[in-house]
Amino acid sequence: MDFTDPTLGTPPVSLVDVASYLPGEPVGTEYFTQFSRSDRMAKNVMFRAPKGRHHVARDETAVDMIERATAPLIDRHGTQEISNIDVLLTHTQLPDNPVLGAGPEVARRLDMKPRWVFDIHNGGCAAFVHMMWMARMILRTTDARTALVACAQNCAGPVFTQPDIRGLAQAPVPGDGCGVGLLVKNNSAPILDIECRTYPEFAGDMEFSTNGDRKYWEPGEGQGCVTFTESKVAKVMTRGNRLVPEVAQAVCQRIGVKSRDIDTFVSNQPNRLFLRNWNEALELPPERHPDTFDSCGNLFAAGIPVTLDTENRAGRLRNGSVVLMAAFAHAGDFAGAAAVRWGAAR
Amino acid sequence: MTTSALPALSDIPEAAVPGVLRIENSDRDATTPIILDMLRSVYPHDQIFGDFCPVQGYIDAPPRDLYDYLADTRCLEEWTYSLRGFTETDEPGLWVSYDRLGDSTKIYTRTVANPDAMTVDYHCAWDQSDHLWMVYLMRVVDAQVVFDKPGSVVLWTNCHHPFYDKNPYKDTAPDGRKVWVGDFWEMFSAGHQLELDNLKAIAEYRASHGLPIKPAWME
Repeated sequence: MDFTDPTLGTPPVSLVDVASYLPGEPVGTEYFTQFSRSDRMAKNVMFRAPKGRHHVARDETAVDMIERATAPLIDRHGTQEISNIDVLLTHTQLPDNPVLGAGPEVARRLDMKPRWVFDIHNGGCAAFVHMMWMARMILRTTDARTALVACAQNCAGPVFTQPDIRGLAQAPVPGDGCGVGLLVKNNSAPILDIECRTYPEFAGDMEFSTNGDRKYWEPGEGQGCVTFTESKVAKVMTRGNRLVPEVAQAVCQRIGVKSRDIDTFVSNQPNRLFLRNWNEALELPPERHPDTFDSCGNLFAAGIPVTLDTENRAGRLRNGSVVLMAAFAHAGDFAGAAAVRWGAAR
Repeated sequence: MTTSALPALSDIPEAAVPGVLRIENSDRDATTPIILDMLRSVYPHDQIFGDFCPVQGYIDAPPRDLYDYLADTRCLEEWTYSLRGFTETDEPGLWVSYDRLGDSTKIYTRTVANPDAMTVDYHCAWDQSDHLWMVYLMRVVDAQVVFDKPGSVVLWTNCHHPFYDKNPYKDTAPDGRKVWVGDFWEMFSAGHQLELDNLKAIAEYRASHGLPIKPAWME
């Protein structure tokens, strides 16, 4: 045995399946244009906003979404495989209860007794890659065999339809949805490489504000919303333009594939400009950079798994092909990319 | 509402100039998305360097000394990639040298410099000195003013003159020369960057070793 073999002790970990869930009937853009402050803004919204998006119901929780997104995995892999999950990682955009993570209740609903349960909040729109990275580390370094990673994006309905918020230009862009991934310690659909980077210099540029003096837990007027200061919008735009191609190229370089030869690239999808800029940056034709923006809007962390699942169910992901995913979070304080040799084709 | 102190555009009927975006006809709500749309991750080479070839850089050397060096045509013997053998012609201020990109190719250069603006324009041409159509526009800026640190910023722009595509002075070319300066236009951005890097390396070496930026042999 060659003990200098760097792959020794790092067994392959595969993304063996993905599934997703979109809540409710699609909400058309007309819902938002009626609240626009001017005709010109309404036109602008029509042009830039997705045609539709889904909104989570008021009483539907993140745990409900994860449970519904996981149902197809149970159908395909059996109840036992899911209930025997060793590692459970969840990311929730808007925690139903700010004190609690969703993990333990997800485990209870799905009849699991995982040994590793983490609710992870700092991966933002790149949370799927972030959690794959963590799950792979745990699977590689322990006797754990399987992991479930779940991204619940649930702020579109609750936050962006509030009376003071729904008239803003950005209100029609977010959509709700949930995506999950099943990771197994085997070589059937190996994760080829992952790059995750934290950029402390860009932390603190995204705020959650009530548009007043009130802290969100205090009583009083004002509606909560995620905000950037207006002068930061272009800064965040240029950061995003740079960060996603950077981490994606880092992975491409390590796996020895030119970005233009990637079979499928799935990114987060904050808006149409980023989608265009990223496929240009990676020199990919748009058809190899599928998205669900027009039907789902910005799905934040759920964007990657929901789009992967959509493409996979449509038969557009070929086994053996290289699928690259990449995203950046918040105002740029985190970015991640992962490449997988696809093995979950249907 | 008028907010302007000056009769701006009063010579033109209202809304008569298409493509002009001003706060009066396009407020920030309307203009911000237009500007964001213009920002990209990558820019096609041609979009950046199509008809212009801008390169620029920071050089850790005193701006006035760097300007004095650049304003002397003979400096091109040092930091350019291929211009060698500068001698002054009978015509004052007009220098001839060889551009070794082409076989036996003479290049004529006249330097037009403005010490107040610290601009240095090299007017050049291959083969003949009657029409110096290749113009290299350089400007030295005091880095203290723009970067709040000592040193120089050098801005260098070249414009795509139509003669780069077609040599109108073929009669003056040496026999058998196969290349034309315009054949290299697509490489100018990289080539000029390489030369700017040369300039930076030479000037910073001299500055950091206490040598005059303009060497004694040029005095």
